[in-house]
Amino acid sequence: MDSDAILSSSEDMHDANDVESDEEGFYSDENEVASDYNTDDDDVDDYVIEEDEDGINMIQARRPENNYIVLKELDIKERQEDDITSVSSVLSISRAASTILLRYYNWNVSEVHEAWFADEEKVRKTVGLLPGTVVQFAKPRELMCGICFEAFPRSRLKSADCGHPFCFECWEGYIRTSINDGPGCLMLRCPDPSCGAAVGQDMINIFACDDDRCKYSKYLLRSFVEDNKKTKWCPAPGCEHAVNYVGDNENYDVSCLCSYDFCWNCTEETHRPVDCNTVRLWILKNSAESENMNWILANSKPCPKCKRPIEKNQGCMHMTCSPACKFEFCWLCLGAWSDHGERTGGFYACNRYEAAKQEGVYDEAERRREMAKNSLERYTHYYERWASNQLSRQKALVDLHQMQTVNMEKLSEIQCQPESQLKFLSDAWQQIVECRRVLKWTYAYGYYLTEHENAKKQFFEYLQGEAESGLERLHQCAEKELLPFLNADGPSREFIEFHTKLAGLTAVTKSYFENLVRALENHLSDVGCHQAGSLATSSKNGTSKGKGGRGKETSRAGGSSRN
Amino acid sequence: MANSNLPRRIIKETQRLLSEPAPGISASPSEDNMRYFNVMILGPTQSPYEGGVFKLELFLPEEYPMAAPKVRFLTKIYHPNIDKLGRICLDILKDKWSPALQIRTVLLSIQALLSAPNPDDPLSENIAKHWKSNEAEAVETAKEWTRLYASGV
Repeated sequence: MDSDAILSSSEDMHDANDVESDEEGFYSDENEVASDYNTDDDDVDDYVIEEDEDGINMIQARRPENNYIVLKELDIKERQEDDITSVSSVLSISRAASTILLRYYNWNVSEVHEAWFADEEKVRKTVGLLPGTVVQFAKPRELMCGICFEAFPRSRLKSADCGHPFCFECWEGYIRTSINDGPGCLMLRCPDPSCGAAVGQDMINIFACDDDRCKYSKYLLRSFVEDNKKTKWCPAPGCEHAVNYVGDNENYDVSCLCSYDFCWNCTEETHRPVDCNTVRLWILKNSAESENMNWILANSKPCPKCKRPIEKNQGCMHMTCSPACKFEFCWLCLGAWSDHGERTGGFYACNRYEAAKQEGVYDEAERRREMAKNSLERYTHYYERWASNQLSRQKALVDLHQMQTVNMEKLSEIQCQPESQLKFLSDAWQQIVECRRVLKWTYAYGYYLTEHENAKKQFFEYLQGEAESGLERLHQCAEKELLPFLNADGPSREFIEFHTKLAGLTAVTKSYFENLVRALENHLSDVGCHQAGSLATSSKNGTSKGKGGRGKETSRAGGSSRN
Repeated sequence: MANSNLPRRIIKETQRLLSEPAPGISASPSEDNMRYFNVMILGPTQSPYEGGVFKLELFLPEEYPMAAPKVRFLTKIYHPNIDKLGRICLDILKDKWSPALQIRTVLLSIQALLSAPNPDDPLSENIAKHWKSNEAEAVETAKEWTRLYASGV
């Protein structure tokens, strides 16, 4: 009976939206999940309607439809080599020269071609690829090195394309210094200050030691990623993959092979449904000194004499500022303590304050403190929930790992089922991780909903409440209700029911969250028509017109009546 | 001891600085450290520094000529590209250094900098502001300082 109710609502939601989302395929996590399991049996999830389509998606999921390509170090090298080869053969120049050109044009092959064929001479001049030797010497047997001023036979001197001769030892020193100065060595020029001839990798390979050659190649590789407008490094610590974005600037969510999900545009972790700008503001807010300022404002008063902020944490109203100020004053009216005494209503009260407060004299400062306090409390409310979902998500990631590495195998033995039949468990956990992420960001979304968008705000809070309770249900089921089966001695029939319930919950929650993300991304604008079906189903037990708080209660009531 | 393995290049440069000095510039190595030079630059004619004798110190670091020499004014000078400590804002002393440059070229560049102050790339914010808002007055101050601090001794 439980699962009946859940299933019916799951189908409602699928009818409304699920087909679309699969076709668009923009949710990278889907693809990620799919590709992880593409060798598994598919016939487990009876509830997923588009089983066949999913199957197809799974096979194709590896990137062709994706907005991005994850590049390992070898892939990066290969692409770089390909580009260098292509430019070198089209322009009939050396590989070293084409590397210099590509670097100058941020590794954009077509830009190189365009510029070159538009005005080869100008391009050569700017990047330092001289068409031929500029320095012609009469042919003495010996020449002087321009750096150490020693005379050398020609065979012991070397020059870049320009012909300015320097001895081997000075070249070595020049190149070593430049490489150890950093990536600027990629733009190295002839040591002669009047000469702009480029010094390319061919010269580096002759004169640099192994270590430096290696460094130079690393810089070159880094440049290929960092100077290229379409590639970025994965920001996960220790990850050395890069992500090449080929999408249409709509969905920037990418998932690195190291399993870190991030937004390619702002390189913060994936943050749908909120946009990059909100994330930036929120992160700034979280680290902002302004929050400390708010706290100080709300909880302290400045010493009337030296203006240092003072927090009153206990004791009477007789304050003594810390040395060297030592000013004694009354906390209530901020007047000098020496003016206080019996005539102001006794030493430990302040009639002046009471009287003045009634006349409204102290209102301004009081109001300011009050406001700061309110805004701080408001922020804290959202921050705490944001952070606790973040924690929850991390915990869920650990649990997911535990599930995949230990528990699935254990259960497979206890319940006498092949592990492929237990995929619904890791699906559930994967969904929990994803939901926690979405839920987390809805709190940043909520924080930036302005006061005057009241109707929107109420509706948002209602949706958020629903999402939260739905997720709680799923989390509860995946965590607690699984335990008896993990500790059982042998297979039980209830496990089949559990399977049905958990898979059902996963599907419902998945589509609910997908709808939520889309609704919030549209800024709740087309919520009326697009979402009507599914949201009406889940809210039929109560009117959604109440305040956010009531909305939550309604949804909980709905939830419990189903269980 | 540091002098015993002085690179040939430094010896050659020193000899040439002493035997054919550039006009208005003198540089001689210190007796106990051949990498440390006492430098004098005459204020260029038709500049606010005309008539002044400016003392500088120049040091050739271990990496020279792969790294630039370190130079600073010892005489107080009112100039937008030179700060209170005498440090000089000059590209060839920083990222534009090339081992094919020499002590002589560096000192000539500094002399040229005295002739052509560049308040758009200032080291001393206040002086540069002064220079841009009222050049005539700034030049007067520079002349005054030249008279006060650089009138040779």
